[in-house]
Amino acid sequence: MKRISTAKPKLLWIQSITCNGNSHSFLNHPDLFSVLSHVELLYHPILETEYGIADMLSGELPCDILILEGSFREQGLLKEGVEVLDIAMQYADKASYIITAGTCATFGGIFKQYDPEHISGFCFDGERRTMRYEAYASKLVSLPGCPIHPKWLSYVLLMAAKGREIPLDGLHRPQELYNITVHTGCVRNEYFEWKVDTKGFGLKEGCLFYEQGCQGPYTRGSCNKILWNDVSSKTNVGTPCFGCTEPNFPKTALFATKTNMGIPANMPLGVPRRAYLTATGIAKSFRIKRFEERIIDYGR
Amino acid sequence: MVVKKLIEKIEGEARLDFKLEEGKVEDVRISFGFYRGIEEILKGKAPRDALVITPRVCGICNHAHLIAAVRALEDGYANAGYEIHLSDKAVKIREFTLACELIQNHIKWFYLVILPQLEKLLGESNGENHALKASYLSSTITKALAIFGGQWPHSSYAVPGGVTCDPTYVDVMQAETFVDEAVRFFEQMVSGMPFESYLSLDKLSDLHEIGGDFGRVLHLMGMHGMADTGYSHDRFITFGECLFFKSGKSMATTVSNIDVRYVEESRQEGTMAKAVSYKQKFYETGPLARGMVAKVPLIKSLHKRYKDSLLTRVFARVHEVALLLEESRSVLKSLRLDEPSCTFDGQNRVTAFEGVGIAEAARGSLIHRTTVKEGVIENYEIIVPTQWNLSQGNENERGIAVEAMVGAHSPEEAAFIFRTFDICSVCTTQ
Repeated sequence: MKRISTAKPKLLWIQSITCNGNSHSFLNHPDLFSVLSHVELLYHPILETEYGIADMLSGELPCDILILEGSFREQGLLKEGVEVLDIAMQYADKASYIITAGTCATFGGIFKQYDPEHISGFCFDGERRTMRYEAYASKLVSLPGCPIHPKWLSYVLLMAAKGREIPLDGLHRPQELYNITVHTGCVRNEYFEWKVDTKGFGLKEGCLFYEQGCQGPYTRGSCNKILWNDVSSKTNVGTPCFGCTEPNFPKTALFATKTNMGIPANMPLGVPRRAYLTATGIAKSFRIKRFEERIIDYGR
Repeated sequence: MVVKKLIEKIEGEARLDFKLEEGKVEDVRISFGFYRGIEEILKGKAPRDALVITPRVCGICNHAHLIAAVRALEDGYANAGYEIHLSDKAVKIREFTLACELIQNHIKWFYLVILPQLEKLLGESNGENHALKASYLSSTITKALAIFGGQWPHSSYAVPGGVTCDPTYVDVMQAETFVDEAVRFFEQMVSGMPFESYLSLDKLSDLHEIGGDFGRVLHLMGMHGMADTGYSHDRFITFGECLFFKSGKSMATTVSNIDVRYVEESRQEGTMAKAVSYKQKFYETGPLARGMVAKVPLIKSLHKRYKDSLLTRVFARVHEVALLLEESRSVLKSLRLDEPSCTFDGQNRVTAFEGVGIAEAARGSLIHRTTVKEGVIENYEIIVPTQWNLSQGNENERGIAVEAMVGAHSPEEAAFIFRTFDICSVCTTQ
């Protein structure tokens, strides 16, 4: 990737078809203004910035780092008569870094489902490359997640501002964030290991992978390593992972595990079916008393 | 003369076309951009998928969508003969997390929208970084939410029968600490006075005691005649009966009962937003409406003197932060962790039902209606608060925000009035 030459890279944040969730997630960053002190924020849709939307839509602003939020429509998504995709591409041409913030901007996400033929991410449509991919691949960083984790974004921003190389995977996701799964660090790991499923929602005990639809074992992301809002995560509070960082998010029937003959249809990332069946077969043949009991007794 | 203005730095953007007559605003057309099709996306999905999909309507009030969605399911199951009784614990946790979302919203609106826009309008900047305060409070109070909800934005921790979390007192103590920190922020930054003293204010003549950023805004607004502008129909509605709010409508001095069946949604020309009325009349929804319906003393006395003016509307939203913080404290204090978190296993075999779920979102009453046939969502309707406040109007009367803007002395003043409704273009064009 091209190094940024100016002392403080100039940052533009452009929204397309979005819920604003990535913007609000980032506003929750506990060190927001320390992070922003490394860049010059020229335009942001919510924060007060030097330039307004009309200036941004002129296409005339400088841009070193471009953050894109929301999915893109090939044609017909206008702001003040300007095609949002065109303006995003104009700034993408100038930028040294393009960060697709969130699953929508990266893969198309939830809003793609309204019109799958014409709505996609900026450089990917699901896992498939869009026709823009070749032009921008050398400066693209994908940050899927619905929404993005504020610290995933600050990591990329600071690496870019400090001119450090970010190791990426085939879909341009930073390896340091996405080469582990949501399962990594899950507080229910013991139950997964011994194949003890939970008895229902609202319990500390048991794993959500077998019945409740948890996609953590095959979803890339560091939600259980870099906690949400600094304190928690979905699986921490007994909510299944819905695979929101994945190219095919959202699937259907999200609160139920798809199974074939009682075996989860999706294997943990990279684990061969035979290895999984062998390991779980052994684990299941033991009954561990501790895993059958409640962790805390409040006298209920 | 027609003046067009693009309103930005709200949730999304909105277009206002002002018709001016001798410098005064005579009429306004409000329009919002593209439609995102969430209601269409939901069709054919499993009923509970709405708990994951609908929060994605909005990055700032996603949690209210979750709560409305789960209530729609519970109502639907009840209509089909499967009555679900939530534990006290589940009810309280849900109310608490929703209150946290309202608090972050109101504070962001105050520091990211009202304060900078008021300074711009009046040329009275104090050079402070308001966004820093917004971000600090927002990240603090959403931590309290995430302790139970897992994350904010876009938690899906409320499921039919309760909540997915099974908190310990370690969690409760942490949450209480974050709420205490938010109270400290309200004391030092927002109101400039001890919390207990703020809560004991109950008359108009007490208002001058308020200091901090809130005191400054009230002072600036009072100095510039904003207690006498921004009047609308003086009609209020709140649907989301809960621990913190009462449902009903308020007109003149009476509060009366309402029925969600009389809510009507209709298409409007030239915008992707639909209009919403109750028995053909437009009502204001949001913090001012909640204060009027619940007869909050300070709101009532402010309203008695200044009606539904700009000042009253702004006051009500900030005041609600204090009320919610106080209620949140008592909810956490009375939480009993020996009760079940979830009383329903989600495995019922009801494959056809219709349910309505209502939640008080930051901007007012939010209504979800789900229709399920053969085990999948056949139809899903979402009515958002901004639709109530920003309806254009009909042949008999103007919409709430339009009425409030008419008579303003400039498009800039009208745009400020518009922003006091805390506009969410994102929700409106779901």
